[in-house]
Amino acid sequence: MSSVSQQQLCPVAVDVDHNPYLAEGAGTLDAIVSVAVAGDAAAGRPLERLEAIIIDCSTSMLSPAQKFDEAKRATKAAVKEIVDGTAFTIVAGTGKAVPVYPPDGRAIVATDATRAAAARAVDTLKPNGGTAMGTWLAHVRRLAAHHPGALTHAILLTDGKDEHESAEELGREIGLSEGEFTCDCRGVGTDWEVEELRAISSALLGSVDIVAEPSDLASDFAAMMRASMSKSIPDLALRLWIPAGARVVFVKQVAPTVEDLTHRRVEAGNQTADYPLGSWGAEERDYHVQVEVEPAAAGREKLAARLSVVAGDEVLGQGLVKAMWTTDTALSAQISRRVAHYTGQAELAQAVQDGLTARKNGDVATATAKLQRAMELAVESGNDGTAKLLRSVVDVDAGTGTARLRSAVAAADEMALDARSTRTARVRKEP
Amino acid sequence: MRSSVSTCTQCGANVASAERFCENCGVALSAVRRVAVPRPAPRDDGAQCVDCGRGTYVDDYCTVCGDRRPDPDRDEDLLDAIVLITDRGIEHTRNEDAGAAGTVAREEGERPHAVAAVVCDGVSTSSEAQNASRSASVAAVEAMLQALAASRDVSSVMVAGLTEGAKAAAESTSPEGSSPASCTYTAAVVVPAAEGGAQIAVANVGDSRVYWIPEPPAQPIRLTVDDTVARQLISAGIPADSPAVLRGEHTLTRWFGRDADKETWDASNVSTMTTADRGVVVLCSDGLHNYLPEAADIAKFCNGITPQEAARALVDHALRAGGHDNITVIIVPIGGPP
Repeated sequence: MSSVSQQQLCPVAVDVDHNPYLAEGAGTLDAIVSVAVAGDAAAGRPLERLEAIIIDCSTSMLSPAQKFDEAKRATKAAVKEIVDGTAFTIVAGTGKAVPVYPPDGRAIVATDATRAAAARAVDTLKPNGGTAMGTWLAHVRRLAAHHPGALTHAILLTDGKDEHESAEELGREIGLSEGEFTCDCRGVGTDWEVEELRAISSALLGSVDIVAEPSDLASDFAAMMRASMSKSIPDLALRLWIPAGARVVFVKQVAPTVEDLTHRRVEAGNQTADYPLGSWGAEERDYHVQVEVEPAAAGREKLAARLSVVAGDEVLGQGLVKAMWTTDTALSAQISRRVAHYTGQAELAQAVQDGLTARKNGDVATATAKLQRAMELAVESGNDGTAKLLRSVVDVDAGTGTARLRSAVAAADEMALDARSTRTARVRKEP
Repeated sequence: MRSSVSTCTQCGANVASAERFCENCGVALSAVRRVAVPRPAPRDDGAQCVDCGRGTYVDDYCTVCGDRRPDPDRDEDLLDAIVLITDRGIEHTRNEDAGAAGTVAREEGERPHAVAAVVCDGVSTSSEAQNASRSASVAAVEAMLQALAASRDVSSVMVAGLTEGAKAAAESTSPEGSSPASCTYTAAVVVPAAEGGAQIAVANVGDSRVYWIPEPPAQPIRLTVDDTVARQLISAGIPADSPAVLRGEHTLTRWFGRDADKETWDASNVSTMTTADRGVVVLCSDGLHNYLPEAADIAKFCNGITPQEAARALVDHALRAGGHDNITVIIVPIGGPP
C-alpha cells in the first residue's frame, strides 16, 4: 500500500472513533469519522474558481427603504473579497435571472478594474419583478458547465418566498444543480421560508442563515466570500467499502452542521459507494456512519467498513471500522463518547425542527414536548448557541423542568432557531 | 529469530560471532542465542480468504467478506531442550500472546549455563495488544541475556528484564491511541546455584504464571502470584469461592503498557529458589492455567516425557477443554536428561 506517501503529498487525516466490540447476534456498528484537511493540503495546485452572486431584485426588496441599499452594499463587499484571477459574475434574481455584471451573462476574471466595474453596475440596480429561484440556479448551473473542474460557488440572497414558479420546478432545478456548484443561501428580513432555502443549501452543500437586520448583510457577505476563497479542493468524496452482505444504514455529516448524506450515495463498484463532500479548505468535519453487518460468533473479527477520502480515484486518507464479537458485555455495552454526543446533536436538530413545525400548526402539546426535549439536549451537550436561541421560543423552569411556549415570539428569533438548528457542538476526540 | 551476539557485552564493540575474545577490550565473549514465538505471519501475499474463498487479504481483511485473516494456529520453536509453543486457541482470530527465551554460554559451542524466558499475554481490551506482548517479551529476554552475559547477579538480571519489558510495551503504541496496547509479563531465569544445583528466579506482572515441576516425589509448586482483583480480595480475607472473587479472576490490577501505573523495579519484585532436583520450569499464559490451575494439574502432563512432548500435551489439553483464549507455554528443563 502506498497510503503513507500519498498522505505526504496531500495530508488528509481520517480518524475513526468507535467501539469495535459487538455482543453475539449484534451487527450494528456506529463510527464517528473525523476528516481533517491540513492548511497546505492543496497549496500550489492550479485551481480555477468561479463565483456567482445572486441578488434578489424582486419588488419587495424596496421596503423597508434601506434593505436594497444594504443588499447592494453587501454585494460590493463580497466582490471586494474575490481574489485576482477568480472568474465571477453578478446576477439579479427576479422571475428570471438577469445578468448584472458582466452584462453578457458570462463570467469575467477578477482584477482591480473588473471589481470596480462590477461595483458600478451594482449601484445602478433597481428592484422590479417576482421571485423564481429555480431560474437563478439554472443560470449558475449553465455558467458552471463552461468551467468544468472549477471550484464553483454561489451566494444567493432573497427576502421572500419562491412565488413565481412551482415547487416542482424549483425542486427539479435543485436536483440538476446538485454536484455542479455549492451555494450559500441568506434570507433577509422575515418574509422568506427557512425550509425553502434549506432545501437549496442542503442539496448544494452550502449554509443557510437569516440576516434579520439588513445592515448586517455586508459583513456576512464578505465573510462568506472569504470562506469560499479559502477553499482549495473542489471536490472530495467519502468512499465507503462494506463487506458482502452488509448494508449502510446512514452517512451523516454531524459537525459543523448535521447533514444527512445517505441518499447522495453514488455506486463505485466492488462493494463501494461514494458520498460527495463538496469543496474543502483547511478544515475539519465529522461524519457519523452506521453500518449493519452480518453477526458472527464470539472471538471473530471482521472489517465492517473501510472509509477513504478520495479526490476522483486518488485516495488521500483512510480509516478502518473493525468489528469484534465478544461474550464480554462490559466491552460490547460501551458506547463511544463521540457517537453518543453526535447522536444527541442529530436528535436535537430534529426536535427543534419538529417542535417549530408543530408550533406553526398550532399543536401546542407536541411543540412544547419537542422544544423542551431540545432544550435538555442542547444544555446537556453544551450547545450554547442552540440553547440561547431556544430560550427565545420556549421557557423552561430551571428548577422544575416545566416548559411552556412563549406567547410572543419574534419571527426573526424563530427563523434563526430553525435555520441554525443543524449547527452542532463539537466534542473533543478521545484523549 | 536465531542469531549470535554481535556486540561485546563488556565494551560494546562490534565483534564477529566466531571470535572468542573481544578484539577491542579482550574480554571472553559469551555465546548468546535466542528464539521468540509467534514468528511474523505473511501479509498481503495474495492468499485466498479462508472464510469465503472469494477475496484476498488487504490490511489482513478479506476484500469480499471482510473477515480478518486468522493468525496461524500455532507456532512452535526449540532452543536446545527448551520448547516454546504459542497457539491462537479456538475462539480468537488473533494471537495476542508472545513468548521468548534465550541462553548464555560462556563460550561459543559450550553448554549454556543460564536461561531466560518470558511469556506475555496481550490484554484484549486494548488495541493491537500483540504489539505490546511481542515487543515486551523480546526486549526483556534481550536485556536479561545481556545482563547474564555481563555476569550480573540474578536480581539485577530480573530487574533489567522488567525495566526493558515495561518500556518496550509502553512504546509499542503511539501516544494518540485511545486504548493503548498492554500485556501481562511473567519471566523466569535459571542460573547455576553457588552451592550446586540451580537457582530459579521469577518476576510477574499480571496473570501469566511460572510453575516448578520437579521429578517425583518432590512436590510441584506455583512460583508466581497473580495480580488480579480476585487475588487482592483473597488476600483481604474474602473467601476464594465468593462471587466477587470469581468475578475478579480475570481483572488485572497490574500490567505493562503506556497506561500502566509507573513502577520502580527492584529486588522486591523478584523471588528466587534453589533446587538440587531435576525437573522443568513451566511458563504459561492463562489460556493454559484456566484449565489447569494447580501445579499438580500441570505436573501430570510433564513427568516421564520430553519437554517438547509435555508442552504439546499441555496446549492440546487447553484446546480440547475449549481453547477459549490464546495459549502459550515455555518449558525449560533443569538438570539435564535423566
